Amino acid sequence: MVVNCEDVWREISNYFEGDLDPTLKRALEEHFAQCSHCESVRDGMRNVIELYGDKTMFSLPAGFYPRLHGRLADQVEGPRVSRRAWLVSVAVTGALAASAVFATVLEGFVPQPRSEMSQPARRLPQRLVAIVDGGKTFHAPGCPFMHGKNHMVTPEEAVREGYAPCNRCMYEALRSAGKVTPDFEGEEMVSNESGGK
Amino acid sequence: MRYRDSSEVEVTGVARSDPGHEYEVALIGRIQRGERELFYELIRPYERRVFVIAFTILRNEADAQDAVQDAFLKAFKYLAQFRYESRFSTWLIQVAINEARLRQRKSHLEIMRPIEDQENEDGTYTPRDFADWREIPSEALERKEIREKLVAALGSLAQKYREVFVLRDVEHMSIENTAQALGISAGAVKTRLLRARLMLRDLLAPGLGGIWAGHSQIPKGTNPWS
Repeated sequence: MVVNCEDVWREISNYFEGDLDPTLKRALEEHFAQCSHCESVRDGMRNVIELYGDKTMFSLPAGFYPRLHGRLADQVEGPRVSRRAWLVSVAVTGALAASAVFATVLEGFVPQPRSEMSQPARRLPQRLVAIVDGGKTFHAPGCPFMHGKNHMVTPEEAVREGYAPCNRCMYEALRSAGKVTPDFEGEEMVSNESGGK
Repeated sequence: MRYRDSSEVEVTGVARSDPGHEYEVALIGRIQRGERELFYELIRPYERRVFVIAFTILRNEADAQDAVQDAFLKAFKYLAQFRYESRFSTWLIQVAINEARLRQRKSHLEIMRPIEDQENEDGTYTPRDFADWREIPSEALERKEIREKLVAALGSLAQKYREVFVLRDVEHMSIENTAQALGISAGAVKTRLLRARLMLRDLLAPGLGGIWAGHSQIPKGTNPWS
């Protein structure tokens, strides 16, 4: 079998693939021995295949892996929280927890009455009340059982300070009062045993 | 010299008896059932390959890296739809090629396609007549300028030749898998591979043949990278 240069150029890639029948392969090799041009083509193609097939031919750019894995992390591992966001969330959670504890403590706070004999208010009037420094009860303004220099405060402030309602001047007001202190919600108002000075 | 990887020979693109393939199938199953972190292990053998393919198409490292990241994200997103009709590696490379081509279209590089893209690949290619380029010094690729010239020469080919050449001769994929990844016939792969190899030989022989022979064989004005 005899081949010419064009046959060689057409089949030379298959020659390197090992994809030629033995007769054609032998014919090409005989041609290479006689034709310096085709021999040069063969050597050049072999060099191309070897050079580009070398593992060191292409190298990955610096930082390739961190960038790739950084980009994939959100999808593969789910969204991640930054350290700053984590700190903020911890702080907010802590603040909320502290607020809840503080509110619970406040709700459970029962003012200590200034008189051992008095009972704390179970209902509160809807208006300001008068207290006297050193006294034990809060009064409606102008109550005759109030002695000394008085000043006006909210009923909540008076209760918080340990003042009990005057069971004389505050009786009617508290009977009709709709506002109930949290500790005694649903219970009937009980009259105070102690009075003002 | 290696011209064919026998382990890659298969009928439908899947070598069922390949233990590596079986391990890969098991990994994919576990990822599909929720062990998402195993995706890193699944793609590790292909990270470099996907980059090289994207880089060969886009001819730019930054664009190639973006394309690689998008390709892996898409592969993860659509892994549930992977039906084992081909090897995972072939499917992944298809995803990467599509991503690189998409990015290329977006960046309007199509306008700058080499003229060879329009050529009829069935036409006879006549190799140029150069002096010998017989030997390759083993340290050739250690020289950065040589690697750059090789990259430039490959980049000067039309895309259809670059794609076939990189899959077959750089990544050593079989003719069948190369055809499947590119969606062309095995015959078309062989034709383009022949043309790509001959053109690269013609581009490189004048410069590299001269350098290694110790004297210049470069005709004035024909250096492909000058």
